[in-house]
Amino acid sequence: MKSKGRSAFIFLFLIIPLIHLIIFSYVPIIGNFVLSFTNWKGFGDIVFIGWRNYQRMFTNTEYISMFKNCGWYFLVAIPQLVFALLLAVVINGKFRGLNIFKGILIIPYLLNGVIISTIFIIFFNNTGSLNTILEWLHLDYLKHQWLQDLKLVNPAIASISIWRYYGMNFIMFLGALQSIPTDIYEAATLDGCNKWQEIIYISIPAIKKVLFINILLSVSGSIQVFEIPYIMMNGSNGTGTPVIMIQQSMSTNRVGFAAALSVMVFIIVLIVVGIQKLFVKED
Amino acid sequence: MTNETKLYKVIRYLFLIGACIFVIIPLVPLIFMAFKTGAEYSSTSVLEPPKNFLNTYNFKYAIRVGNLGKAFLNTAIILTISLIIQVTLTCMVAYVLHRFDFMFKKVVKIMFTLTMFIPVVATQNLIFRMMYAVGLVNTMWSVILLYSGVGIVGIYIMLNQLDGISKEIDEAAYIDGAGYFYTFARIIFPLMKPACTTMIIINGIGLYNDFYIPNLYLNRDVQTFTVALYKFFGSMATPFEIVAAAIIIGMIPIIIVFIFLQKYIYNGLAGSVKM
Repeated sequence: MKSKGRSAFIFLFLIIPLIHLIIFSYVPIIGNFVLSFTNWKGFGDIVFIGWRNYQRMFTNTEYISMFKNCGWYFLVAIPQLVFALLLAVVINGKFRGLNIFKGILIIPYLLNGVIISTIFIIFFNNTGSLNTILEWLHLDYLKHQWLQDLKLVNPAIASISIWRYYGMNFIMFLGALQSIPTDIYEAATLDGCNKWQEIIYISIPAIKKVLFINILLSVSGSIQVFEIPYIMMNGSNGTGTPVIMIQQSMSTNRVGFAAALSVMVFIIVLIVVGIQKLFVKED
Repeated sequence: MTNETKLYKVIRYLFLIGACIFVIIPLVPLIFMAFKTGAEYSSTSVLEPPKNFLNTYNFKYAIRVGNLGKAFLNTAIILTISLIIQVTLTCMVAYVLHRFDFMFKKVVKIMFTLTMFIPVVATQNLIFRMMYAVGLVNTMWSVILLYSGVGIVGIYIMLNQLDGISKEIDEAAYIDGAGYFYTFARIIFPLMKPACTTMIIINGIGLYNDFYIPNLYLNRDVQTFTVALYKFFGSMATPFEIVAAAIIIGMIPIIIVFIFLQKYIYNGLAGSVKM
């Protein structure tokens, strides 16, 4: 190996991404920690006010309910993952129509938040598809004003996540299933193992790690929910989330408070990823 | 040889058809709506098909009023520049990390890995102030700059690819007198094309659909397609059937991309978790 200019080469190839990383990831996080103890407005003097931003976050019921809303997004992740897993298990194989099914099932993953919000406003409106279908089925007593009813609005818009995000989980599960060597299945069939036993004893255990990653992705995703409640409801009717609050604090120049909220979101994600690392290492 | 019973096959089809209905039902009214006239929209049920599927008025109106053409162009410019920078830088970082040992290599790796822990939404509070201070807010460069970082998932995709490219190729090039840069740019980089394609598709879909960043930085004169759609949808003056048409227009490029590149999306996303 030659070595002339080696260090210079390594330095040149790494320096731009590293500077980018420092400016756009590390500086803002450290900066937020510092600013979360101030009431800075984005201009003027920086005055330290101790823990007051954090106190406000945990004593004001409006802010507490925003963190609670994230719970709905976490809850719907359970049926979402079950659905995605079942789908991956049954689609893993060769049969007629496979590619058409794969094509249709990936559509939601390809759509952006604005499109999905519009689709589901039509779906949940008072004269929308859901109420129309309920009418067809003569289930009129189940009809509701889904987006106005303060009790229903959060579970309703949280359930949109199932439609929106199951595709990503499904593709990851499918990828994991397809990396299982086929001779394991062949051996199982030779031993007289039926399809159900095969699913329960081979497929599911083999993708435990990916399943775990997906659960944690859902948890850390639910604390960062922004697009659907923001676009559909603008955070009204009690549909606010911490990230919507960060956005609103930023646009009203409450930089200190936005920093405290950012730190909270960061800490929660950190805990979740920490748990993941802990478990993955045990494997 | 198979152990699939008839019952299993029937259940599989029923389940898959059910899943497809679950995907399609919310989309149906949107497609119907885009072809309805204003009067038709307000007088018919959302699940009733339009009288005339050849009614293109809404589409023409959406393109003319929503400035969608310009927004598309902006998105295309941002995507092209960011993806070129992103992929090139990721290849460079992965190459150095894969082929060389150097001081602080561990530190560099940890620095890239740790960004996984930092949610984008928890950093924008300060980044917005920085962008504002240097006058980049409301210019495409703010978004391009943010999109040009090197992510750990991309690095892993590239490292996997480099595992399959023999080191002897590099050494042969050095013996022939090629420099480090020449070896990378002319010999190794072209061999990394498959990984680059995967990364471009996966990140391209993500960036095309991103709303948070463009909405924060580009919500006035320069807009990306998602933001233009949002403004269009948010203004009460726009009739809903026009919004529906605009959305169908927005879905077309992504569906075209998908039809041609379905295999890459499935393999790429699946591959990105096998880190």
